[in-house]
Amino acid sequence: MRVKLLYCTDLGALKRVLAQKGVPFDPEVMMDHVVYMFEIEDCSRVTTHQLVRHRAVSYDQESQRFSAATREGVVTPPSVQSNEAAYKAYDDALKTVYSAYERMVAAGIPKEDARYILPSAIKTKLVMTLNARSLMHMIWQRTALQAQWEIRELATTLHHLAQDATPELWTKIIER
Amino acid sequence: MKVSLAWSSPNPERTIAAAMRRCYSTKAIEEIETELEQKGPEYWKYLLSKALQDKSLDVLEHFVLTLLVEGTEDAEVGALARNFPYLRATRLNEADWLLTLNARTLVELWRDPQSKPFADMIVTELDRRGVCPIFNGLAFGARINAS
Repeated sequence: MRVKLLYCTDLGALKRVLAQKGVPFDPEVMMDHVVYMFEIEDCSRVTTHQLVRHRAVSYDQESQRFSAATREGVVTPPSVQSNEAAYKAYDDALKTVYSAYERMVAAGIPKEDARYILPSAIKTKLVMTLNARSLMHMIWQRTALQAQWEIRELATTLHHLAQDATPELWTKIIER
Repeated sequence: MKVSLAWSSPNPERTIAAAMRRCYSTKAIEEIETELEQKGPEYWKYLLSKALQDKSLDVLEHFVLTLLVEGTEDAEVGALARNFPYLRATRLNEADWLLTLNARTLVELWRDPQSKPFADMIVTELDRRGVCPIFNGLAFGARINAS
C-alpha cells in the first residue's frame, strides 16, 4: 500500500485571518476548516469498502468498468500468506477467477460485466479529500485493535502524514 | 456582506482533472500529474467541461475554499449550513464567519435561487483573485458573459 498527501490547508493562511479578527487559533474549532487530499494506492477493495462507510468524505476511485484487472494486482492477507494450505486454496481460487475474467473479456463481454467475478482482494487506487474532524474520527475508529489489519495500516499512515503536515492540529493521542 | 478568500486548494483545476483521471486510469498519481502538466490547461478544461456536462460533480469536491465572510447574520449562515451539509461555518465574532466549502457546494449554491447572490459574491472574489478562471468560465459562464 502507498499513501501520499497531495495537499492540505495552509494553517498560516487561516491564522492570518484569525489574527486580523483578533481571534485565537483553536485547533478544535479549526478542524472543520483544515482539509487534506490523499492518494491511496494498492490497497484492497476489502479495505476501500470499509473506508467509504465514512461519510462527509469525497472519494474518487479507479473504476473496474474501464481498467482491466490483472492477476498480479491482488492483496494477500498475512494470515493466508503464512499458511501453506490456505495460500494454495487462495492462489487456486484466484487463478480460476482470473482465467474466467480473461476468457469473458476475450469473448467480448464488457469489462463492466466481466468484473462481477473479480475478488475483493483486488488492488485499487483512489483519491480522498476530507476535513481534519472527519479524518480524526476515521483514525480513531480504524486504529482500534478490533479493526482489520489493512485498514489499521492505512489509518496509521494517514495519521502520521496529517500529523507531520499540520502538527498543531494533532496534539491529542488518538490512535488506540 | 463582504467575502474574502482565506485559502483555496492549490492548482484547483488540475486537482479536479487529476481526480477525474483517477477514475479511468491505472497509473500512479505522479504519472497522472505529469500527463496533466504535459497536456496543459486546455486538457484540464476538456475534463472539467465533461464533468460538468455529465453532472459528475463529485470530482469538484476536491477543490476546497475557506472564506472570511464579514457582516452577516446568524440566520443567513444558519440556513446555509442547514441546506448545504458540506459547508462548515464558524462564528469568529458578532458578524464575521469563517466558511469552508468545496466547489461542488459552490455550484449547488449557485443553482439555488435563494443562495445565488451569496454564490455570486464568492465567484466574484475567485475571479478577482484569479484562482480558477477555467472553472469559473465553465461553471458560471452565464454570469461571466452577462457581466
